[in-house]
Amino acid sequence: MDGSIGVPVVRRDGAAKTSGTALYAADFPHADTAYAALTTSTVTRGRIIRIDTTEAEAVPGVQMVLTHHSLNETLGEETFVMKGGHMQSSFMPLTSDEVHYAGQIVALVVADTQEAAEEASRKVSVDYAAQHASASIEDADRVEEPMDDKSIDVGDAEAAFDRAPVKVDATYLTPAQHHNPIELYGATAVWQDGKLLVNAPSQWVVGNQAGLAAIFGLPMDDIRVESPYLGGGFGAKATILPHTVLVAMAARRLGRPVKLVVPRETGFTVSSFRPATRSRVRLAAEQDGTIVAVMHDEAAQSAVIDHVAFPATGVTARMYASPNIRMRESTIATDVNTPGFQRAPAEAPGFFGFESAVDELAVALGMDPIELRIKNEPVCDPVKGLPWSSRSLVPCFRRGAELFGWNRRTPEVGSMTTPDGMLLGWGCASATYPSAMCPSSARVKLSADGTCVVSCAAHDLGTGAYTVLGQVAADVLGVPDELVRVHLGDSTLPSGPVAGGSVTTGSAGSAVHMAALAVRERLLKAAAGGGDPASFTLAGGHVIGPDSHGRPVAEVLASVTGGMIEETADWKPGSMSGDQMRMGLAGGMAFAGPTTETHASYSFGAQFAEVRVDPLLRTVRVSRMVGVFACGRIINPRTARSNLMGGMIWGASFALLEETKVDRPRARFANTDLAGYHFSTNADIGEVVVETVDEVDTVVNAIGAKAVGEIGIVGMPAAIANAIYHATGVRVRKTPILVEDLLG
Amino acid sequence: MQPFTYVRADSLDAALSEASQPGAAIMAGGTTMVDLMRGNLAAPSRLVDIGHLPGLSEIDTTGPVLRFGALARMADVAEDATLLRDYPALSESLRLAASQQLRNAATLGGNILQRTRCQYFRDGISNCNKRVPGSGCSALDGENREMGLLGTSDQCVATYPGDWGAALAAFDTSVELRSVGGSRTVPFAQFHLPYGDDPAHESVVQPGEIVTAITVQAMPAGRKSTYVKVRDRQSYAYAVVSATVALEMDGDTVTSARVSLGGVASKPWRAPEAEAVLTGRTLTEAVALEAGAAAFAAARPLHHNAFKIELGRRAVARAALLASKRT
Ligand SMILES: Cc1cc2nc3c(=O)[nH]c(=O)nc-3n(C[C@H](O)[C@H](O)[C@H](O)COP(=O)(O)OP(=O)(O)OC[C@H]3O[C@@H](n4cnc5c(N)ncnc54)[C@H](O)[C@@H]3O)c2cc1C
Repeated sequence: MDGSIGVPVVRRDGAAKTSGTALYAADFPHADTAYAALTTSTVTRGRIIRIDTTEAEAVPGVQMVLTHHSLNETLGEETFVMKGGHMQSSFMPLTSDEVHYAGQIVALVVADTQEAAEEASRKVSVDYAAQHASASIEDADRVEEPMDDKSIDVGDAEAAFDRAPVKVDATYLTPAQHHNPIELYGATAVWQDGKLLVNAPSQWVVGNQAGLAAIFGLPMDDIRVESPYLGGGFGAKATILPHTVLVAMAARRLGRPVKLVVPRETGFTVSSFRPATRSRVRLAAEQDGTIVAVMHDEAAQSAVIDHVAFPATGVTARMYASPNIRMRESTIATDVNTPGFQRAPAEAPGFFGFESAVDELAVALGMDPIELRIKNEPVCDPVKGLPWSSRSLVPCFRRGAELFGWNRRTPEVGSMTTPDGMLLGWGCASATYPSAMCPSSARVKLSADGTCVVSCAAHDLGTGAYTVLGQVAADVLGVPDELVRVHLGDSTLPSGPVAGGSVTTGSAGSAVHMAALAVRERLLKAAAGGGDPASFTLAGGHVIGPDSHGRPVAEVLASVTGGMIEETADWKPGSMSGDQMRMGLAGGMAFAGPTTETHASYSFGAQFAEVRVDPLLRTVRVSRMVGVFACGRIINPRTARSNLMGGMIWGASFALLEETKVDRPRARFANTDLAGYHFSTNADIGEVVVETVDEVDTVVNAIGAKAVGEIGIVGMPAAIANAIYHATGVRVRKTPILVEDLLG
Repeated sequence: MQPFTYVRADSLDAALSEASQPGAAIMAGGTTMVDLMRGNLAAPSRLVDIGHLPGLSEIDTTGPVLRFGALARMADVAEDATLLRDYPALSESLRLAASQQLRNAATLGGNILQRTRCQYFRDGISNCNKRVPGSGCSALDGENREMGLLGTSDQCVATYPGDWGAALAAFDTSVELRSVGGSRTVPFAQFHLPYGDDPAHESVVQPGEIVTAITVQAMPAGRKSTYVKVRDRQSYAYAVVSATVALEMDGDTVTSARVSLGGVASKPWRAPEAEAVLTGRTLTEAVALEAGAAAFAAARPLHHNAFKIELGRRAVARAALLASKRT
């Protein structure tokens, strides 16, 4: 079957996953494995004044209990990912008696069985000297700390706002949220001959390898991180979670493989989460809808132990033409585990407020919200004046409106109903996501048996990378899909980028493309013998010479030493320096874009929602969603569609369900299981229509692919909130929008 | 969890004698029990699995007394055609509960004995008078949207979460119990205990007792009955509020009414105040809403759950209006 670019190739990993043969990190069997369990703090802030492990050690089968007394080991230099390292947090549990957040690891128990480890972990007895703590940005004692370097000022937005005839000034809230990947966190560590193998679900095997090498003072080659499949990661599995280090230490001391699987509740505090945000958005327009001022002040939850921020205003500033833009960012430190990346970290929360405000402006103007957006479409980046590498937001809206049937919308609140008496609401919102790039290596091998093997330490989180990266090679080499093999998720493979920032296809794909071209060149050279390779071409599994005579690729390869051609390529984004590339390939965080010296590169989308609101009970159901996106070249329409659809469904959860509640008096997360932390079930999601518009982007990277992975979630929460307003006249400026928000 | 002995009983008598051992606990479908044990909220030394006992899963939905064996599976009972026709509220309460997978495993007896979902009870670390009597109640000043406002006390504000129990409360229901010492029958209204000062005890079931059956007196109002469950998502979520209404009508006039509530009270909650409002009245939306308001007259709202008074009022109204249209 044709497996080239643009073909909806079926997911290569699908059969292994559905038949249960795919090995996830916790599935790897290692002889003589011991099992670990965690004891976590029951207070939020303070000190451990006594920790007694006697009873835990007495549980039959217990091998070891690590606490801050017994860990006693100096770790190598390694730090928080936002400070250039690879760790989820700057704080390493068990290195002191300090407690910085609820649910912090205070002991790690290892036993011969999982049951014994769990039982013993409960028997670790801890006394704390607790101190006052705050885990909510709404707590009175929390202060906003401005991040001046994130400010954006174009023109004089305050003055323009004051003068303008039509304006909106509103504040929007989004809560803390947790990734809750169905595959739980965990790690298995195996030491052999002084070398460490870690099976941990990872979105960044090379980064984890580099970090662990630093921590254990070993060369990178002595560390292997292997994670071929992920049961969801959504950003939470990019960095090294502290327990991975503890498990590796325990395994080294014990001289046995040690496996930890973190229970769901504990997962809320031993990893990261999406921080809460508060956005004040001010928009002003002339009567005709011309936007004259855009102001967005975002304050986001951070941690006392780590300053972390995912500023949205650098992205919302790019949406609409306005001569006056003023953006401000600040953080609010709270006593929580360090927040981290979660699908569209900046954009998803930021766009809820921003795109709700755009809808409010449309209502204030009495203007159609799509018309308002189209009227203010910027010809170039409104902040720096750079040209777009490509931008098709308007075609997305036009097509989306057509698919959704927007022209049948009557704008008056509550004016549309269903035959069974439900209030119908139709809303829309814009979405965008930056197309940044990372350097990547890749290896492509073409063999006489016809197979093409692609290897890269990139990752497939269920996103389709196994499929898509194979297609890039197949496209260049004309190999049928069934002969393509792809290896990912193993740090022994050529370096690949972090599965974050929606970079995989563009970055690893460009490296595969480069390697495949190199293979192709050698193949043609081999076929040409002493002749001119340029007069040879590759088609249908044959090398075709100037005489139009075709020789099977296998025959040409048989004449090559070793019967195969293998090439490894190192690809870097055009705007990146060689040093940056080397740093990135060695496991550093190296991003180029989305704005370079010459261009601004973003994917764009238009999202639509239909809600049905029960007029009496005021419950909301999302009956229809439409999303149309422009993401450059679509390598595989099937996997792209699934990705975008998954994002939209998550967006519906964001709008109506997802919230990690904070128990404010006790300063800790309250609903730490899947019975309490709700996301959409099948029954919550009606029809979902996803399309992409054709777009050619010759700037962004070698294969013209822009970001797909995260944009799907971005506009959905606002589209749904806007639809709810249309149905009910109630403007809810926080998520999740719950039944009590609409009871009136 | 702490080590325990697992015993799979093969007859009711064997089960009763196993259950009478010190430290023994019963497991039927296990969908609640295993969670409780994993969370250290139950730590039996002996777990007596009765899930497969013969003779306890039959149901009879035709007689003057409806009889449900304690081991009947939620999924099977939900699909019983007679129940669906004659007592739709009872079928619906099962259909709208949990997930298909859970309903396949879970039993009716286990269902009425499921424990509260209160996160402060479940988390194992908060102050909770139900878990550690005398330790206090973190829910009072904590996140209490999910908590109850009827039948609660200053010691405990947790809800009884089950749907089936909530619906049963509207009917003349009894529970049959057996132990090595004999058998007894307890009216459902007395089966669950009011919280008062002792929230740790939720039902009259004594150690060693096994629920063998649930019975419901046949009632013409069963046909005009419905279970309205308001939840945050369309499936797989406990009720924010639920309302069961069963009516007998003469034309547009309600001649007899049963109303019960779920998700808002310490136990399955019958609402006679609402029944009184409906009885003898012509059923209009206004009357239905008046009945709903009456159901919550005694509500003790907390910081985050006061909205349930209004939502509950509307849920009762919706249920009454829907029930009245049933034939
Ligand atoms: C994720 C999840 C979601 C859920 N959602 C809902 C929902 O939306 N609505 C709802 O109503 N329920 C819901 N449930 C609860 C579910 O319905 C109950 O767990 C189930 O009905 C219990 O039945 P079981 O047979 O599994 O009981 P078990 O777990 O076996 O037992 C439950 C308790 O009853 C005791 N017990 C059981 N049988 C007997 C007996 N015959 N005699 C004496 N004691 C007995 C046990 O000792 C134990 O204390 C949910 C459960 C889960 C796990």
